[in-house]
Amino acid sequence: MNCRECIEHLYEYLDREMTPELEREIRAHLADCPPCGEQHDFEAIFLKFLRARCTAQGAPLDLRRRILEELFDE
Amino acid sequence: MTSPPPSPPPPDADQKRSTFEREALVHLDSLYRVALRLTGNEADAQDLVQEAVLRAYRAWEQYTPGTNARGWLLTILRNLFINEYRRRSRHPETVDVDTIEPYAVFPEIQDEDPQATFFDRIVDDEVLRALDQLPHVFREAVMLSDVEGLSYDEIATVLDVPVGTVKSRLFRGRRLLQSRLYEYAVSQGYIKGQTS
Repeated sequence: MNCRECIEHLYEYLDREMTPELEREIRAHLADCPPCGEQHDFEAIFLKFLRARCTAQGAPLDLRRRILEELFDE
Repeated sequence: MTSPPPSPPPPDADQKRSTFEREALVHLDSLYRVALRLTGNEADAQDLVQEAVLRAYRAWEQYTPGTNARGWLLTILRNLFINEYRRRSRHPETVDVDTIEPYAVFPEIQDEDPQATFFDRIVDDEVLRALDQLPHVFREAVMLSDVEGLSYDEIATVLDVPVGTVKSRLFRGRRLLQSRLYEYAVSQGYIKGQTS
């Protein structure tokens, strides 16, 4: 595992979407390579930030009411 | 619980209703958020969700209870959007997304702000605006993964593409979004950035 490969697979690693073998290789590389480790932390911060900022909005109550009416008041 | 309706529906309709409420309508927030990012405006998003939910209810017999209701609903919503809304709500994509190779932001900020505290100063509306400005194929992949938390397999099913395509779109979509937020932060003076 070199740095380029590690960075290429970083998102899959953060998303926990890889084989156990590859996951072990990445984890070992991150432990040995401070620059890749820092980039890993940055990407983790970014993904957490995205989720926190984009989930605040939910369906308007009025939409919920209209859907219930349309579905069940027939 | 609510009081019984004036003329009680037959038991199977009653059961369909309660199953649908429990397994499908709990995902209304997800459906609306995705619809809003797809259509770009609240009125179309509401219409899209309403129509998608109605279709899902009519096709409810095709859904296996206990399986992935959210993925099933999002697939219906997205197909409906592609077929009915996309042409009139947004212009067709004019950029070839395969040629987009966004740069990595981390090397630009690692000396000045490695913990990326500049993100904290960017308001929600600006983040959503940046998401909305991504090319469509990147926007929907990022939305389904990073906002709604779907797995790669689930995203592949909703978008009807191979998992490898999901990975590639997520990689480039996230980087593109990151670079635009970084450029915004630089323009607002939240971070100095590399002077090139």
